[in-house]
Amino acid sequence: MRDRRRCIDMRLRRLAAALAVSGLLFGTAACGSGSGSARAGDPNTLEVWTRSDPESAQTYQRVFAAFTKKTGIKIDYQPVMNFDQQLQSRASTKDLPDVMINDTALMGSYQAQGLLKPVTPDSIAGHDEITAKSWSSTVGLDGRHYGIPYSRQAMTLFVRKDWREKLGLPQPKTWQDTLALAKAFATRDPDGDGKKDTYGMVVPGSAQNGYVAWWGSSWLWQGGVRILQKEGTGYRPAMDSAAALRTVSWMKKNLFCGDSGVIQPSALTSVTANTTNFQDGNAGMYLTGPYNISTFDKALGKDTYEVLPAPTGPAGNNDVLADGENIYFGAKTGKAKQEQTLAAFLVSPEGQELAMTGDHQPVVRIPVNSTLDAAKVREDPRWSVVQKAYEDDSQQFPNAPDWAPMKQDTADALNAIFTYCGSDVRSGLKELNDTLAGDLKDQDLLK
Amino acid sequence: MTATATTPGPRRARIPGRKAVLPWLFLAPGLLLALVFKFLPMGKGVWLSFFDVRPFLGDQWVGLDNYTRVLTDHRFQDAIGHTLLLGIGMSLGGIVAGFVLALLLEGQARSLKIIRTAVFLPVVTATAVVGEMWRLMYYPTSDGLINSGLGLLGLGPVPYLDNPDTALWATMAMGIWMLAPYNMVIILAGLAGVDRSLYEAAAMDGVSLWQRLRHITLPAIRPALGIVLTLAAIRGLRVFTEVYVLTGGGPAGSTDVWMTRAYTLGFTRNDIGGASAASVVLLCVTLLLTVTVNYLRKRGDVR
Repeated sequence: MRDRRRCIDMRLRRLAAALAVSGLLFGTAACGSGSGSARAGDPNTLEVWTRSDPESAQTYQRVFAAFTKKTGIKIDYQPVMNFDQQLQSRASTKDLPDVMINDTALMGSYQAQGLLKPVTPDSIAGHDEITAKSWSSTVGLDGRHYGIPYSRQAMTLFVRKDWREKLGLPQPKTWQDTLALAKAFATRDPDGDGKKDTYGMVVPGSAQNGYVAWWGSSWLWQGGVRILQKEGTGYRPAMDSAAALRTVSWMKKNLFCGDSGVIQPSALTSVTANTTNFQDGNAGMYLTGPYNISTFDKALGKDTYEVLPAPTGPAGNNDVLADGENIYFGAKTGKAKQEQTLAAFLVSPEGQELAMTGDHQPVVRIPVNSTLDAAKVREDPRWSVVQKAYEDDSQQFPNAPDWAPMKQDTADALNAIFTYCGSDVRSGLKELNDTLAGDLKDQDLLK
Repeated sequence: MTATATTPGPRRARIPGRKAVLPWLFLAPGLLLALVFKFLPMGKGVWLSFFDVRPFLGDQWVGLDNYTRVLTDHRFQDAIGHTLLLGIGMSLGGIVAGFVLALLLEGQARSLKIIRTAVFLPVVTATAVVGEMWRLMYYPTSDGLINSGLGLLGLGPVPYLDNPDTALWATMAMGIWMLAPYNMVIILAGLAGVDRSLYEAAAMDGVSLWQRLRHITLPAIRPALGIVLTLAAIRGLRVFTEVYVLTGGGPAGSTDVWMTRAYTLGFTRNDIGGASAASVVLLCVTLLLTVTVNYLRKRGDVR
């Protein structure tokens, strides 16, 4: 009996030791597989992150493969869906990717956290082929550049051409035309199925991730509104202006609280990912970015819809939001030469063309390289509407300050104003203005 | 084991000493994993909550500023109310619905097994998928599943998620739908242990259904209810995915809960210090709630 017990005891102890060792190994492996991978130390390998879904990641992969073939510099490519979250966690370990490609409007935020290496435009071969307008969007608060323009885009108005022609209405040129067309789409059964199941316009109006500020900014500019006004070396919030009151009141009255059907139901909790009414064929208009063109072509067919410049607002302009992606160099990586070589390739005609074409979703929308014409490269005249909107009629979010909190606060305020139809717009905007002033003060930028 | 450990005598004490090491060895892998992936990050989170976090420019010590800022922010104050309402509503609703489901689906029949499996499906489905599904069901026109049902009764359509007065309740209903089957399984296990002869005796005495539930079933499943309550206390306040997927905290912040605020602060506004402070507050409150529920449960058991 005693022998048997000892035997069991020994077996148990051996098992315990094995478990403990395997646990230790697993723990070490888990620690080792994080940021400091073996390739991070290799000077000839760049770790590159882009905010991409699997579809657009395939286009990036093609671009990077061409780069490696040409230069011999290897790319450890990571498409990251929840980019901001992952980047913050990598930042907390002070080990950033060498190169990141992400939104222009986040530059101020990254710079405020010290995540970026400054860039000298002269150090990038082909820098003179990028327009001054594009370069200007990478200047930080201290006057230095913190990114290299990579892709640009501007919003345009997508309209169901077949519906519009069936109802015998002209292309919308003004806000009034747009509203009338939206009402007609909602009430005059443009799809001819005898049911009232169509909507005028698609709106991603949720405050989540600042969507309503992103979509609504074009309307604000067409109404003559500025969210922030630059003043000397700082900024002043400008959402308490008469123009802001007039514009936001118009949007609230006509789009969100007016006749039902002008915008799609559930707009106030919609983000772009679940706002699919246009491609589903039950909404007639969508003011959005050109990255949707390939999706709409597949879902609706090229001939069913048209790409138009945004309508002219009461301020007499048809400005739209321009944004895009920049190439950023992560702070403190010490691979400057390789990073600059990659950036030069990405902005070169070859790199840009590769990223604009192919079977998968293109990752360069409007090329930053001024020698290229988006419509010619893609053999699609609709892209010239987008390119013209970007070059002539577009505004960008201020990139130098940390814009992220201000975009979120603007979205929170607009979403609340549009939700409560009986609320006072003036006091809502006044509160937003005070919040924006607080944000600017936090960044020592309030004038 | 406690009994042998307290037994005096050098020889006997030595063996239990060696034996006491054994459980720790078994626990070591789990503990190590928990240490690396849970407790160290948690400790780091607590540490960061006292800083203005700027990894590359140097973190700045701000003391309790982050806590003050979070606790005085009116959006966070609103979120506390929503979190409590949602946490308590989902927990209690989930327990009641789970109890009813368990009573209805208790038994050995093959058909019941199939129904039980079907009812359990929400638990194994990813919350993100459930959220998208419920968004479609809640679609605010007569095309939506629920509204088309209401239409048959001559009612609606109701804009469940787009009306700030109903959005939180709609989120709660989805939460209950997801939680109830999980509670059902635990309560079913409790019900299996109820002495059948008590029911037979009750039937002979001619007691009502309510009396049977009140005096036989509920006391018998008290341990199962204790477990369900403890779990509810732990997860009730940290509700996040349901809200994030279904409404994103909107409209007009009417469904914002503590975790969605903390997420927005950390990952939209890049304020890691503030988000850490908010998370630490939530950790403390959850810990307090869990300990209280456990204390009350134990006191109830003793009584």
